[in-house]
Amino acid sequence: MSSSPLLSPGDAVAPAIAWLNAHAHGLFQAISFGIETVLGAIEACLLALPATAMAALIIALVFWRQGSRMATLSALCMTVAGLSGLWTETMETVALVSLAVTISVAIAFPLGVLAARRPLLEAALRPTLDLMQTVPPWVYLIPAVMIFSLGKVPALLATVIYGIPPMLRLTILAFRQVPSELVELGAATGATTFQTLTKIEIPAARKTLLLGLNQCILLSLAMVVLAGLVGAGGLGAEVTRGLTRMEMGLGLRSGLSIVAVAIFLDRVTRRALG
Amino acid sequence: MDLTDFIKDFDKTIDSAMSWATDHGGLLFDLVRAALEGFFDLVTSGLLLLPYWAVALVAGAIAARSLGWKAGIATAAGLTFCQMMDLWSETVETMCLVLVSVLLAILIGAPLGILAGYRPRLSQSIDPVLDLIQTLPPYIYLLPSIAFLGYGPATAIAATVIVSVPPVIRLVAHGFRSTPVEFVELGEATGTAPRDAFLKIRLPFALPSIMAGVNQSLMMAFGMVVIAGIVGSGGLGETIYGAVRKLDIALSVNAAIAIVILTIIIDRISQSAATHRRPA
Repeated sequence: MSSSPLLSPGDAVAPAIAWLNAHAHGLFQAISFGIETVLGAIEACLLALPATAMAALIIALVFWRQGSRMATLSALCMTVAGLSGLWTETMETVALVSLAVTISVAIAFPLGVLAARRPLLEAALRPTLDLMQTVPPWVYLIPAVMIFSLGKVPALLATVIYGIPPMLRLTILAFRQVPSELVELGAATGATTFQTLTKIEIPAARKTLLLGLNQCILLSLAMVVLAGLVGAGGLGAEVTRGLTRMEMGLGLRSGLSIVAVAIFLDRVTRRALG
Repeated sequence: MDLTDFIKDFDKTIDSAMSWATDHGGLLFDLVRAALEGFFDLVTSGLLLLPYWAVALVAGAIAARSLGWKAGIATAAGLTFCQMMDLWSETVETMCLVLVSVLLAILIGAPLGILAGYRPRLSQSIDPVLDLIQTLPPYIYLLPSIAFLGYGPATAIAATVIVSVPPVIRLVAHGFRSTPVEFVELGEATGTAPRDAFLKIRLPFALPSIMAGVNQSLMMAFGMVVIAGIVGSGGLGETIYGAVRKLDIALSVNAAIAIVILTIIIDRISQSAATHRRPA
């Protein structure tokens, strides 16, 4: 099949990757090490308590913030994940999603605030975002795997990149929608730029920002699950095992746990929209 | 309390339920599988009968008509590029998987969307289901498909139809709902038959929204078809899956480029259909 095609950009990329792996090995290893350490710490926190205690803590938190209906829903989700016998895998998935979303937001939010103020930057970003959202998610995993091989690190990087566009777009939109009278009011009362941002613009843009966060979380979850294909562990790995070995019981259990995580994350963040 | 026993029992129950289903419903699943695979093979072998340059020319002409001559040349060049990377048959297979799935999604989604557009009640009961389908990671839709249809393109198509139906239903319903009231009333006042009111008043207004639905459906389908490489869908998805597992960098980069080219071509063409067609 690979009897040298007429044109093969990949053959030009392969030596470049090999060169990078040989010469920038230290850098990649440092990045891997950093990501794995943080990820390990988050996982350790999530698994520090036994499953029942952790679930009870989360349900109590949801009850305190969002009332009994959401607490019931959360309890249902936790029960499904617990009874599947995949609690550890579920927490691995949650850890990956939380770290990826944190990094995505840390990149997308400041960039979005800037782009909302500078039309030139936005015009430059737009075609990139269009392209990024057209490309199928699988494709993001390929460069990450080429550099970082299989495992959690490429999964995290692909997820971060995949999660940036929705957050960035909705951040730009959110700040655009802030009524100009409010910003002018800030200027008139002598607020500094920072004060205008934190006390006027962010509260006014809150709803759209949270919607962006919701989208970012759901897309990241989709990517993290998909990354089970490249050895990211967690629930995605279990689905992959179920699919490739035709172990339908395992497949169904991991599928249901993913449904539980998705519904929990979606409803809790959407509820925060008010 | 013993969770491991519970899980073992659960897995056993599922396995026996699966074998019961394949024993008793085997004929039905075989039929579905044969129908999907037959349709897919027919379209694919039809397109592969043509030489690549004929397909590239036709695609280029379509792009030129809807997006201008530059896009037409880029489209033809892009497809030729796929051929030069020795990935033509895979590219065609992926294109056919997407087109067949979206066609089925439209066949299922359009009638539902029209009904939902006319009846707000129905739309209220469908919405939570669509929400749920769109909330879950697409990857897990491969599970029920592979359980009933086994390894192969039929599974890929079934899973792809699931993820590409919601945008069709939503945007078709939205299109029919957003016909300006004055025009509907005008139709009633002039005594237009319901059939004509549908075809001549509502449909033209709904068209841009319907085409936007088709565009989104195509994009969802692309995402899924590539993932479905793991269940033996054939096409570029399977090429990438194999290449990534063997860490064959050159081949995975080439296949990824082919996918990006194909996705952009189909996205831009279907998008222009959504934005340029104005109600008469």
